[in-house]
This record gives sequence, structure tokens and C-alpha cells, in this order.
Amino acid sequence: MELAGHRREDFSVCMGCKVCASVCTINDLNIDMNPQEFLLKVFMGEEIKADNPLVRYCTSCYRCTSACPWQIRIPEVVRAVKESLGIEARFEKAFKMSLNIWGRVYEPFVVVMSAPDLLKGGYIKYLPKWMEYAGFHFPHKVKRLSTSNALKGGSSSKEGRS
Amino acid sequence: MAALLKKAGRNMEYGYYPGCSLTGSAKKLDQGVRQVCKKLGHSLMEIPDWNCCGALEYGDRNELLSISGENLKKTEGMHREIVVPCPACYKNLKDADSDKSYNILSPLELLNSDNLSKMEQKNDLKGQVFFPYYGCLLMRPEGSSIRNKNIMEDAISVFGGDIDGEKMKDRCCGGNQLFLNKWVTEKLSNLILTKSKGTIVVFCPFCHMAMKTFAEGRKVIYLTDLLLYVMGENKSL
Repeated sequence: MELAGHRREDFSVCMGCKVCASVCTINDLNIDMNPQEFLLKVFMGEEIKADNPLVRYCTSCYRCTSACPWQIRIPEVVRAVKESLGIEARFEKAFKMSLNIWGRVYEPFVVVMSAPDLLKGGYIKYLPKWMEYAGFHFPHKVKRLSTSNALKGGSSSKEGRS
Repeated sequence: MAALLKKAGRNMEYGYYPGCSLTGSAKKLDQGVRQVCKKLGHSLMEIPDWNCCGALEYGDRNELLSISGENLKKTEGMHREIVVPCPACYKNLKDADSDKSYNILSPLELLNSDNLSKMEQKNDLKGQVFFPYYGCLLMRPEGSSIRNKNIMEDAISVFGGDIDGEKMKDRCCGGNQLFLNKWVTEKLSNLILTKSKGTIVVFCPFCHMAMKTFAEGRKVIYLTDLLLYVMGENKSL
């Protein structure tokens, strides 16, 4: 099993010390989280379910990496697993779509594309606080993305795990 | 490193990578960084045709590095020193620069006790309490974090402000979950907010938005806003 650039060797160095579990931000959500268990599952090629709290809620805070004796970049492994599971939200899809169209994230596009989630999710009440973020500008289309075949489309989500 | 710091103290021309947020929701940070750099005597030359760094959205490491790395290619032959305000972009560009042929700098790394104390001062911060909040990506992981992890405290105290909430300065606000699982951001941000007091001083667009959304009755500002206030460029904080 190989995870999109995150080689097995990357996390085979894990010694199982579980220091990541003691610092993981997800514990602050009153969810017991042990990223070491997650790494072990990935290493053993076990299936990771879409409702795994680490997959759903990892904030990429890198507290685990910082505490880890080997500086294993667990948030990046989690991200790869999430992508391979194909469970990205509208917001995340819109983000990548914008990158594919313009080469940059055009916020008005992302907001419009994820509007159904934003409307349902109770975000409207924050609008007064967000006024300072508003402002209109036209999207800039990046001309040169020559060497990057990565930007051809969102195909990576399907190729993530093999 | 001393040489680098010395270099950062001199007037220089830098490549500048604003990143997507700074063209939209974090426009204020972009303007602030440009203004502060001008005051410090540095000129920023925007990387022509820069593209998104990929933020935290790509699981494929090679894909992410290729997206970020494209920007380094675009500055080839022009600048080796690149100023990158957004912490996510800063991390990605540092990661993409695997052979360390560039010097990727956060604007925070252009500040030091020397140029802070020499800064023209029209207002002071006496009697005001500030919570310098760095969040995650400026502090971690080690290979891509800023050198002086107390620079915001240094800046605030030079101008007479009081510091609070030091224990929470590198905790996660959950900003990148704001549009995915709002409750996660709300809970994590509130944890930080309840254990700190005063005006929240940030440098990250994610943190700014999370703090702004969940802080009731507290100001949320970028460090650049604070510096511009001190220098008399901004009338109020």
C-alpha cells in the first residue's frame, strides 16, 4: 500500500510512544484520540472508515508532529486518507475546482459553490461579523502552470490509495 | 543565522507572495504588510503570475509540493528572499523549497528588537491588554516555523502594552474546520478565548476569521494593524 507520496517508511518509524495522543487537539473536543492507532492501521493496510474522528476533525495543527520523536507528519497522512476516501465536503471540492479553473482560490466562487452547506449549516448569523471580509474583485487567471500536471483535475482523490 | 537576521535588519528588496486569502478576505493583512514593509524601508516585488500554494487541501504530498513549488520557479533569477505573510502559504513554500535555495520569510521575521525600537512612535499601547495569538502553522512543524516565537510579544511590550494568554498562543483555533464542522472551530476557539483576555492580535487569516466569528465583544486585529496604529498610520486599533 502506498499513500500518495506518503511512503510506508514515513510512518514505519513510529515507536508507538503515543505522545501524539497526549497532545492531539481532537481531545479538546471530548473525543479520545490516539493518532498512533491510526498510523498503525494505515501501516497494516486496514480499512479506515469515513467516520473516523481523525479523518473528520483533524485541524492540521501539527501538535502531534511537533511532539513526535520522529516528527511524523500525521496531519498529512490523515489528509491523504481523507482524499482517498472521497468524502470531501462541498467547500473542499470548490476550493480545488477554483484552483483548476484559475490557478488561485477565488473566494466568491467557493462561497457560491458551497452555499447549500453554508445556508443549512447556520452560517448566516455570522454575516454581520464577516462584513470586513467582503469586497469584490475579479478572479485573476494564472497563465503559467506548465510543469504542474497536478492541476489537471481532481483525479487524485481516486488514486490516493492503491 | 546571525547573518540572516542581520540581513533582515537592512533595507532590502524581497520577492512577495501574497497568497489567495490576501487578495480577498485578508486584504487588510496584505495592505498592512505592504505598508509596514515600506515604513521599514523594504520593497516588496510581487512574484509575477503566482498561483495558489494548495493550502491544506491536498493529500498527495507530491501534488501539493508541485503546486507550491511552481511559485518558486516563477521567481527564479529574480529573488532568493521571499516574504510570505499567510502561515499556510509560508509552510507550503518552505516545504517546496527542499534544497533550501530560497529564504522564505514571514513578515514577522523582518521584525527584530532593533527595528521595533527604532520605529517612529506616535501612539503607545500603555494600559492596554493584548493576547498575541500565533496559532499553529507559524509555530509548527519545527522545519517550517518562524525563528523568533516571541516576536509579537516583543512588539507589543516595546510599545508598552500588556500581554495575556501566553499559554494559549500556539493552540489551535480549528480555523480550517470553520466551513466543514463549525462546532469544532467554535469549541476550540472558545477554549482559547476563555483562557485569554484583551485585544486578540493575530497574523493568520484562518485565526483572524475564527476569532472574529466566535469572540464576543473583543477586538481581533492583525499585528500589522497594531504597528500601523503605533506609527500613527491608523487612527485607532
